Amino acid sequence: METQKGKETANQGMIMAFMNRRASRPELADVLIDDDDTNMLDGSTAEIAANSPRYRRRSSTFIDGVHDLPNEKDSPMAPAQLYSTMSGRLFHSGRIVIVLVGPPARGKTHISVSLSRYLQWLGVKTRIFHLGDYRRATLPPGAEIPDDYFFINASAKSVVLRQKILKKCREDIYAWLNHENGQVAIYDAVNPLSNGRRSLEKEFAKHDVQTLFLESYVTDEKILRENARSVKISSPDASLKMPKRVVEANGPQFVDMDPDDAAKLYLKRIDTKIPYFETMVESDLNYVKMINAGERIEYNNVSFGYLSHRIVFYLMNLHIKSRHTFFARAGTSSQEDHYKTDAHLSEEGKDYAKKMSETLLKHREAERADLIANGNPDIPLKPLTVWTSTRKRTVETAEYLGERGFKVRQRSQMSQLNPGVCEKLSENAIRRLYPDEVGMHEQDPYHHRYPRAEVLTSCCPKFLATSANDAQSYHDLAVRLEPSILELEREQNDLLIIAHESVLRVLYGYLMACDAMNIPNLRFPRNEIIEIIPASYQNEAKRITIPGVASNIVPGSPEDIRIPVPSSGIVSPFPGSGLGTPAEPTKTLSQDAFAPAAGHFEEGYLDGESDKSKPDRKPENPLSRD
Amino acid sequence: MEMMRPRKTNGLGVQVEDTQICVVMVGLPARGKSLIAQKAQRYLAWLSIDAKVFNVGNYRRKETAHPTAEFFDTSNAEGERMRRAAAEAAVNDMIAWFKKGGLIGILDATNSTKERRRWIAEAMDEHGIETLYVESKCDDEDLIMSNILEVKTTSPDYIGQDPEEAAQDFRKRIRNYERVYETIDKDESDLTYLKIMDVGKRVIINRIQDYLQSRVVYYLMNLHIKPRSIWLSRHGESEYNLGGQIGGDADLSPRGHEYAKLLPELVRRSVGDDRPLTVWTSTLKRTIQTARYLPKHYNQLQWKALDELDSGVCDGMTYQEIAEAYPEDFAARDEDKYNYRYRGGESYRDVVIRLEPIIMELERSEDILIVTHQAVLRCIYAYFMKKDQTKSPWLAVPLHTLIKLTPRAYGTIEEYASSGIDAVSTWRGQGSVAHHEKPPVGAEGVIGNVANGENPP
Repeated sequence: METQKGKETANQGMIMAFMNRRASRPELADVLIDDDDTNMLDGSTAEIAANSPRYRRRSSTFIDGVHDLPNEKDSPMAPAQLYSTMSGRLFHSGRIVIVLVGPPARGKTHISVSLSRYLQWLGVKTRIFHLGDYRRATLPPGAEIPDDYFFINASAKSVVLRQKILKKCREDIYAWLNHENGQVAIYDAVNPLSNGRRSLEKEFAKHDVQTLFLESYVTDEKILRENARSVKISSPDASLKMPKRVVEANGPQFVDMDPDDAAKLYLKRIDTKIPYFETMVESDLNYVKMINAGERIEYNNVSFGYLSHRIVFYLMNLHIKSRHTFFARAGTSSQEDHYKTDAHLSEEGKDYAKKMSETLLKHREAERADLIANGNPDIPLKPLTVWTSTRKRTVETAEYLGERGFKVRQRSQMSQLNPGVCEKLSENAIRRLYPDEVGMHEQDPYHHRYPRAEVLTSCCPKFLATSANDAQSYHDLAVRLEPSILELEREQNDLLIIAHESVLRVLYGYLMACDAMNIPNLRFPRNEIIEIIPASYQNEAKRITIPGVASNIVPGSPEDIRIPVPSSGIVSPFPGSGLGTPAEPTKTLSQDAFAPAAGHFEEGYLDGESDKSKPDRKPENPLSRD
Repeated sequence: MEMMRPRKTNGLGVQVEDTQICVVMVGLPARGKSLIAQKAQRYLAWLSIDAKVFNVGNYRRKETAHPTAEFFDTSNAEGERMRRAAAEAAVNDMIAWFKKGGLIGILDATNSTKERRRWIAEAMDEHGIETLYVESKCDDEDLIMSNILEVKTTSPDYIGQDPEEAAQDFRKRIRNYERVYETIDKDESDLTYLKIMDVGKRVIINRIQDYLQSRVVYYLMNLHIKPRSIWLSRHGESEYNLGGQIGGDADLSPRGHEYAKLLPELVRRSVGDDRPLTVWTSTLKRTIQTARYLPKHYNQLQWKALDELDSGVCDGMTYQEIAEAYPEDFAARDEDKYNYRYRGGESYRDVVIRLEPIIMELERSEDILIVTHQAVLRCIYAYFMKKDQTKSPWLAVPLHTLIKLTPRAYGTIEEYASSGIDAVSTWRGQGSVAHHEKPPVGAEGVIGNVANGENPP
């Protein structure tokens, strides 16, 4: 393993190191996969499963390619867990490269990032390879690509450069698919010519990889200009902040220009740089063509089924409006906070609902004032829609906003995780009563489901008979929430989600592309609203403090099990803030709302060059490369 | 960025619970429209979404039970008037049904002209109902012929007529439609539509407005109209079956192994030739063992989603033990078996939700043999046979019997082949705690009574 590791690192050298810190999937890059493990893959999963009598008790699914357990080789609990990719079973698709097609400013990166997030969520091991990153890594710092780089009759020098860059990128794709058990590689490049696409498909086929082209085709000038303006050219709106690399790539000349003029200039430059572009009509290739950001989708000859249909299903719901999502906890209830009793809000809870709502409304106004102060047009705020579960506490927490004319919707899928026997028990009591359960939970907090029948019956049948209910794992909850994810993508208004902490964790996990193993550990204290702001590579999360919330209701729900979970070897992209938890609270709302904290994380994170700006962060696991 | 211009003007994005959709089928006769309409309805109902098919042909048949092709000639003014009246009656009934809270109405007719489609959009718009057009455009002669063959034998229009004459008349009827048929094109780019061409090889999706529409489109994309069958079998009798225990991951009993050995022959006879099937099993030992003697060239896949209903704390217990340990639960389960969720386990409703991708994959696939478990098989059977949620959990599915389902436009045909190998009964009547209760012979909800099936080999 060590040799393999060394070799791989050396081979891929700078680019991989660069990629590793990229927002695409840094945590996957950090999880080293042993070749021996991948050999276990072929068809043997079910055999192992069939011969291991207790495997089913452990969790509701196999561990899959995404939700890899940390030291699974050493774990006697998980004989069936060796990379039996969920995708392998669910989709029965082989390895796939999704090849993006379209000039810049067509939203390709947005599509790749969103799609990758969704596929990860579905359990498909996915990684994005942005050719642009390879270009930037190959060119000397500050250098621009030659003017004829995209030309058909490019100079010999440009062709050599082009081929060098392409080769590196493809080698990485193959290395990932072959040695890291990847299933879907998303290849983000312009791919303008039909000939090029055909030979690409042939080359991948030689490596036993299927190709699906995904073109973003835009005829609507307005969409183009908006895209160029908001993504490619500096925008004062923090939600659309341009990554530093884009400023570099496009030169500083856009900075002081009128945004509309800059957008036009930028598009013109694209047209000059990439004068030849053929939209996809190849009837012999598998492609999905998304026209004008989803207004129309054309689909041709896609021969590998479920996964591609799933992708189309997702694309039908994807939009590119910039919309903020807020997460808030429900207020406390009048009666005992018990899962079975669906109690009303207490006075304290009502007070909380009011404070939370007022803080949110004030925050939205402040954000808007900030935009205007930064020279943006004075446009009204996006409407705010509120989603709650069907539990009384969440519904009543939304009443304050409902009375003020905001649209409130209840969704049954967003009911909380059923904690089973562990509700209301202290950690010590749980450890005492269910030592085996605790062991299993520590092994796999995401998939573990309280209670596990046999163990409990043997240790405390009486308790079980009176208190046990249909407990669920986080994985169960994620599966239940899947339709909500597509609706979440579809929603165009700003959205406030008031739900139980367990639901917030899973939804946050999706939006922030958290590793599944970290989801049970996310914290949503009651005195904070979490705001998710879309950004082109990785969404940003911010905490908004709700002033004056009584400290006794701040901590997490009583049924939360605060048992330490072994690190999964994944290093949080969020400097200094633990595993995938939101950035530190922003105390004041105006200037600080776009806190340097969030800003620098984005830079450091995206560019992979400002490690010095990160606070001290200890590697949490020997597996981590950081 | 402006990308959608919803016809509904609330500007807020339409939510599922506001949404009522009229799905309008478009296409020439014998393109599988009715099949698609029926399937979509069945799928939605299976997922507890209120859906109904309004077949314009049925309205027209009230007046003209057995029309000849001349009736469909556009120059036949009387025929034209009556067909228009039938369409209006169907649309009016649908709107009345929407007013009572229906969610997805499916208008099953040719709707072959732009004028007709525009008229439907306007009628629905007036009531705030969305329209989603689904065109199935297919020029595959073989496929059309096989559809014609089916229609002449199953369509109510040709009941009791000479099949040859019926087929000829039907072809003439198609030609009459072809003369006026207009496919959905640029003129209608403001409509929401799904256009499926060349049996799903090419698809255009235009202006999807909300999540529910995307969900319907997703399902329809996965459908195909090629003839095929699905074979279902439970695993062979297991050691747990012998003791009346539920769940677990037991090995097959000696008789179960016997069934496994006989299964290849049983399948070969039922298929009728040597074409290979794709075999799906669960990940539990008893289904894998049951499928292990099937020919090597059958492709075998194991699905976690086909695992037996998880009975949580009751896993491995007998019904007697459950009734004693959890009397309230036992009664609650009998009360509402579909929704009852075992402590720490699953309900039938949960199983249906986890089976959804299986159904999707089944719809995409051709001939498939599924070896699975009682509860899962009940849910799959209920999907194909349109069984009610109150009845499906009580279906009696015998061990050691091969079930063959063949979806047709006007329903699914079922056939059985019993292996003749004895097995215990695992069926349980409401309120019973018996280990091996025999389901009443010939009663409703008993699948594959040997009396109706083929003879044992």
